[in-house]
Amino acid sequence: MAGKTGAGLDPVEVRGLSKSFTVKEGPVFRKTAKTVAALTEVSFTAKKGEIFGLLGPNGAGKTTTIKTICTLVQPSSGKVYVNGHDVAREPQKARQDLGVMLTGERTLYWKLSGRENLEYFAALYHMSRTHATERIQYLLKLLGLQDRQDTLVENYSTGMRIRLSFAKAILHEPPVLLLDEPTMSLDPQSSRLIREIIQELRGRGHTILLTTHYMEEADQLSDRVAVIDKGRIIAMAAPEELKDSVKKSEVTEVEAQNINEQTVEKLRGIPTVTEVVSSIEDASSLKGVIKIHSSHGRNVIPETLGILVKDGVEVSNVKIATPTLEDVFISLTGRALRD
Amino acid sequence: MTSIAQSLDPIRAIFRKQLRHLIRYPGELVFVLFILYFVAALTIAMGTSVADGNALTNFASQTGSSLNPFVFLMIGTGVWMISWMVLEGIGTSLRDEQIKGTLEQNFVAPINRFFLLVGTALSSVLITTLIFAGTIVSSVLILAPQGALGLIAAFAIMLIGLIPLFGLGFVFAGLVVRFKEPYAFTQAMNVLFGVVTGTLYNVTVLPFWVRVISGAVPQTIVIQDMRLAIGSVSDVIGALGSIFVLLTMGVIYPFLGYAVFKQFERRARVTGDLSKY
Repeated sequence: MAGKTGAGLDPVEVRGLSKSFTVKEGPVFRKTAKTVAALTEVSFTAKKGEIFGLLGPNGAGKTTTIKTICTLVQPSSGKVYVNGHDVAREPQKARQDLGVMLTGERTLYWKLSGRENLEYFAALYHMSRTHATERIQYLLKLLGLQDRQDTLVENYSTGMRIRLSFAKAILHEPPVLLLDEPTMSLDPQSSRLIREIIQELRGRGHTILLTTHYMEEADQLSDRVAVIDKGRIIAMAAPEELKDSVKKSEVTEVEAQNINEQTVEKLRGIPTVTEVVSSIEDASSLKGVIKIHSSHGRNVIPETLGILVKDGVEVSNVKIATPTLEDVFISLTGRALRD
Repeated sequence: MTSIAQSLDPIRAIFRKQLRHLIRYPGELVFVLFILYFVAALTIAMGTSVADGNALTNFASQTGSSLNPFVFLMIGTGVWMISWMVLEGIGTSLRDEQIKGTLEQNFVAPINRFFLLVGTALSSVLITTLIFAGTIVSSVLILAPQGALGLIAAFAIMLIGLIPLFGLGFVFAGLVVRFKEPYAFTQAMNVLFGVVTGTLYNVTVLPFWVRVISGAVPQTIVIQDMRLAIGSVSDVIGALGSIFVLLTMGVIYPFLGYAVFKQFERRARVTGDLSKY
């Protein structure tokens, strides 16, 4: 650990991280400044060979956390260590150990080909040309881009650009990978491929910090998940542990038509019900799903159905659902992830 | 232990990437090639329309230069164009990268910001310099062949003048990263440089207080000394003092400029401006 300044041994250590931004609002000459806390006392570690998921709604602070770790944002307070390197004091060493995939397909040069993009970033990460050439060919093949390697990125599909962006992040085989929504906008086949590679990287000892909107992805991939809301970590454990904590209050899922807020409010009034969340999938028929969290599980079904039928809600299916990470978030915050 | 060649790899990669972009968007190169001739021709046409048959005599007495007016003007516009490319190359390119979303990807890479800034401008500067060299050499050989010997000295002065210019470019890059207004800054400064450096005239025609500003801009010295060198090599020997000033600027400006850039960059990381478009 020579030359490293971190006290711990974990590849990613975030201690008491806070970040506030000053936002100016109002008309041009009468702008008022207000301070917005993006992160408050965020602390976690990601271990070697671990996939650590950051789960939370838009604006929760996931991307700010990632950007602080990769030195793009300077924290207001707190410390971040990457492989023992304090990112504030040794940013270059921290950057060398990081592979970063930021959200979106616009992180590439569209007027360069896929291969030229990777060659460029290989040089920025001080890879020798021989090693870079071999590695680039390997990754292009792995991600199904070999045949289009000399095509300009502007002619790639969104999925191809995201795969190339992923290849760029893992190009120099960094011990720590920061992946911000790595499968967003990807087709199922490409998403599966990326997930398989992420799992393979974990098997080879890489540490992966992953932010995602997709609960299934966080659940499937993560060894541990931190649930983040309004800049604070509100829960952190293995997905199974988090879901077990919700099992105490089983979730009844009702698929129905004509769902309305008054009926949902009535369901909230059932004594054993702790939370009710509805989501409308078809606005014209008011068709959707109502999730009822209850401390008495299935015992709530008769009373629920009674209220729904009386209010003219057409029930098409009722099931006791296995809790998901979404349910964990609902039980912790009273809101759905996409609210 | 990284070798010198390895440590230069990033700057080479940035240079090659920028060059590919320039070649794949060739409009800018065509613009640079033609603007040199257009500005010089426009000025000669204006001078002739005002002074008619006395234009050349008036020009020689006002500028104190025996150089062919076209060559005189080409030197001014060429140096102006190169300074334009440096300021735009460093400042505007960073903003373009910010808008495209690629700036962050460069900033998370373990490379010195200095390499990033220099490499970004190097390709456009190299191409502009080559175009400038081609146009100047051909103009001198055709219109003022007696000045051919001075071409080497003139280009040496021009190359020395690039070093402090990069320092000014770093300040621009900092302003752009922080305030995200590259076009206003670079266009205003380019026009200002065109006025104060004596692009189309001799700086002696400017009021004293403007000449004080001119003296702080390296391109003023470059233009003056290049004209001297092509006019007569022996004249430039008498201007060694100004070349020493240029060399001193070459030491001070890049350090100052880089320090200013780092300060603005640090501020942008505090405010989160690096990610804002």
